[in-house]
Amino acid sequence: MATVKLQHLRKTYDRGKTWAVNDVSLEIANGEFMALLGPSGCGKSSTMRMIAGLEELTAGEIYFDERFMNRVPPRGRNVAMVFETYALYPTLNVYENLAFPLRSMGTPEAEIQKRIHDIVAILQAEDLLELKPANLSSGQSQLVGLGRALMRQPNVFIMDEPISHLDTRLRSRMRSYIKRLHIDLKYTMLYVTHDQEEAMALADRIAIMDVGNVVQIGTPQEIFHNPVNMYVAGFVGEPPMNFLECAAEHQNGSYHLTYKGSPVPLPTVAAALAQKQALPRDVVVAIRPFYIDAAHERSESHSLPAQVFVVEPMGDSTVISVNAAETRMQIVAPPEMRVKDGDHVWLALEPSRILLFDKQTGIRL
Amino acid sequence: MQTSKITVGMVLRHALMLLVLMIFLFPIYWMLVTSFKPAQEVLTRPPTFVFEPTFDNYRYAFEQADFTLFIRNTVVIAGLSTLLVISFGSLASYSFARYNPGDGHILFFILTTRMMPGIAVVMPFFLIFRDLGKTTFGQLFALGLDQIGALVVAYTVFNLPFAIWLMYSFFQDIPTELEHSARLDGYNRLQVFLRVVLPLAAPGIAVTAIFSLMFAWNEFLFGYILTRDAARTITVGVSGFQTQQGILWGPLAAAAVVCILPMLGVALVLQRYMVRGLTFGAVRG
Repeated sequence: MATVKLQHLRKTYDRGKTWAVNDVSLEIANGEFMALLGPSGCGKSSTMRMIAGLEELTAGEIYFDERFMNRVPPRGRNVAMVFETYALYPTLNVYENLAFPLRSMGTPEAEIQKRIHDIVAILQAEDLLELKPANLSSGQSQLVGLGRALMRQPNVFIMDEPISHLDTRLRSRMRSYIKRLHIDLKYTMLYVTHDQEEAMALADRIAIMDVGNVVQIGTPQEIFHNPVNMYVAGFVGEPPMNFLECAAEHQNGSYHLTYKGSPVPLPTVAAALAQKQALPRDVVVAIRPFYIDAAHERSESHSLPAQVFVVEPMGDSTVISVNAAETRMQIVAPPEMRVKDGDHVWLALEPSRILLFDKQTGIRL
Repeated sequence: MQTSKITVGMVLRHALMLLVLMIFLFPIYWMLVTSFKPAQEVLTRPPTFVFEPTFDNYRYAFEQADFTLFIRNTVVIAGLSTLLVISFGSLASYSFARYNPGDGHILFFILTTRMMPGIAVVMPFFLIFRDLGKTTFGQLFALGLDQIGALVVAYTVFNLPFAIWLMYSFFQDIPTELEHSARLDGYNRLQVFLRVVLPLAAPGIAVTAIFSLMFAWNEFLFGYILTRDAARTITVGVSGFQTQQGILWGPLAAAAVVCILPMLGVALVLQRYMVRGLTFGAVRG
């Protein structure tokens, strides 16, 4: 296992005409579980392939511990990888697939056999050994893919969307499985995904990417509660963050936020900024669906009018979509909440949970 | 009523199929029959359908006309050229499928070499091999006129473009993730090609090899121009029965039967794969 250090990675195609990775610097500590999160096309796969050595760097440096890796071919990097499409060798049975990485090192057959038996015992896949990949279900295939990556002690363990092709139930089972694997083995892991829920659930730290750059690196808690900009705020969390474009007005020595004439509470975090009179005129109020309360009657706190669009009862909670003027918002309400489509409701935003962003730059205030 | 109507339709349809089949298969049937006829019955009018079969024609072909040599030549030439075609072709088409050198222009250029007719290049080939045969290099590899090496080279050159195009589509179908995985598993590029890519491309390579074999086996023009006796191929041998004394129909038919049998066998056994290989190439290429 090793520390992985990326310094100003850059990857361009077509002689610099298009770029996949603009400037990525990242350090993954020894034994850390790092998730690389972003939508498709954000450069996370290219970053991962550069770490694995499958793609050449246009610029930048890669270090495993203190070793400079740029010129080392994939086979010299000792990177284990689990692929989105499993990438099992179709002509070989499961046993031979598992043995494949050890065969290249000339490991004695007895040792290979022992290692395979250890791995299948961990994966509980003993009865798959004789099967060809074509006869495996998708869940079994990925189990074997995982097993093959576990056959040796890698510097880095990379997982590229390993469970995105599995069905929902299997996905959540594999997710906890992977997390437990990391707890037991303490490998340095890089988990590439577009699914924020997976990243949140699994990783020690998350690196969020957008158009070729790392936007924020932090623990799931930091990312969730302290997003650096609107992109991160909108990407993480389900149902997603609500955004309201508000006007900040300076009146009688204090700030007032209004949305289409309705008052919006000034967030606690912005009080200090307001003191310094440093708020821009156009701000975006962001609040997660859990921190909005809806009531049928207007009151001091419930001051924002809205109309119910749809109601989705989830059992343990009810997701209510409302239209507040032109903005669609989602609220997670307790299951007892009785509303129906078309109802007029009044919303209360919890001031301590409101985040403020500059509308022009998208940056957190 | 209805059942009898269907039966009439079925009978008609089968009768029609039989008729078409007979039209198509008649030449082959007649060749087969002729090869067993005694010499005096070959050209009788009206033709005889009932006669006493004889092996004289086969005996003549193998003993007088040295067909054993022609078959041996053809096997060696077809086998060697197919081996070369597959060796060079698989490496080339793999490169095109993975690295696309020349942005498709080189690949297209390779195909264009197949667009000219054989007769257009047979004279240059003749001159090249005539001169090559006089050099030490040419003598070492038997590249002169009426030598086996010359035909091996000629067939390889002529077959390679088609083989590259056919195998190109097979290689393109192999997911790159498998190669990535193997490279991370500790193998270099050549090992990845040999251990992961080739086994997966095996059906495509087999189809290509069969087409290459068939071409070399059935080829006539190059064999006719570039050989005289020692390197004579089987198709040229068949044509050799047109002598100044007339056409020896019986031995010619016997030789023709020997000529088509191996490829007919291959085609029958492997027709499923060959059709797949052809449509595969057609759709992708």
